[in-house]
Amino acid sequence: MKSVFYLLDTAPYGSEKAFGALNAAAVSLNKMHVVLGLYGDGVYLVAAGQDSNKLGVPNLSDILYSYGELNVLVHEPSLIERGLFGETLIETMELVDEKDFLEAMESSDCVILF
Amino acid sequence: MKTLTIVLTDGPYISEYAEIACKLAESALKQCHVNIFLYLDAVHIPKKGQNPSFFTNTGELFAGLAEKGAVIRACARCAASRGYTAEEETENGSNCRDYTPGIKISSLYELSEMLSKSDRVISL
Repeated sequence: MKSVFYLLDTAPYGSEKAFGALNAAAVSLNKMHVVLGLYGDGVYLVAAGQDSNKLGVPNLSDILYSYGELNVLVHEPSLIERGLFGETLIETMELVDEKDFLEAMESSDCVILF
Repeated sequence: MKTLTIVLTDGPYISEYAEIACKLAESALKQCHVNIFLYLDAVHIPKKGQNPSFFTNTGELFAGLAEKGAVIRACARCAASRGYTAEEETENGSNCRDYTPGIKISSLYELSEMLSKSDRVISL
């Protein structure tokens, strides 16, 4: 496999899935072409200015921002449905429509779902 | 020989993914090399001494797979956070006393290694 698409469709907090997807993507960066695709509630990950202190967990948006080399695709319809379009988002991501999101998934050698 | 990697993220009994993975792996082992990576709650799958009332014991299922040649590894961070620790000395092909034989705790980097060397990947 030369490329992997990590698909996250769960919210960043309340479970370990987003943290797990970020870690898995980070360790794959040296070996393969990596895309992190955010779909459904997964799009909340790119909202800027998150404060996770009271949850006692790291700010996952900051962690994502620090992986500048990671290709992050955000499903724009999911973002719009959640009222996040027009809000401040982290800069290191790309908004894509349904067609481009699916094409990116299809063109990857494998898809790992979180 | 081709390589199949199966990535699991759910714990046992909450879904049938562990049993499905087991059936797929058993079938695949007849013609290819099989890797299984246990991530997040899936690190509970190979726990020793499980006694489910209505389901097949996943610890024993996966020990059987390891015996048949599947390479089964669990994420160290996920395992540690759930109380499974890796030890230096291995017993029965495992490096965790709470795991069934043949299953080892390993670094998350092994997931990337498995994926990059695979011909097919299944995520459940």
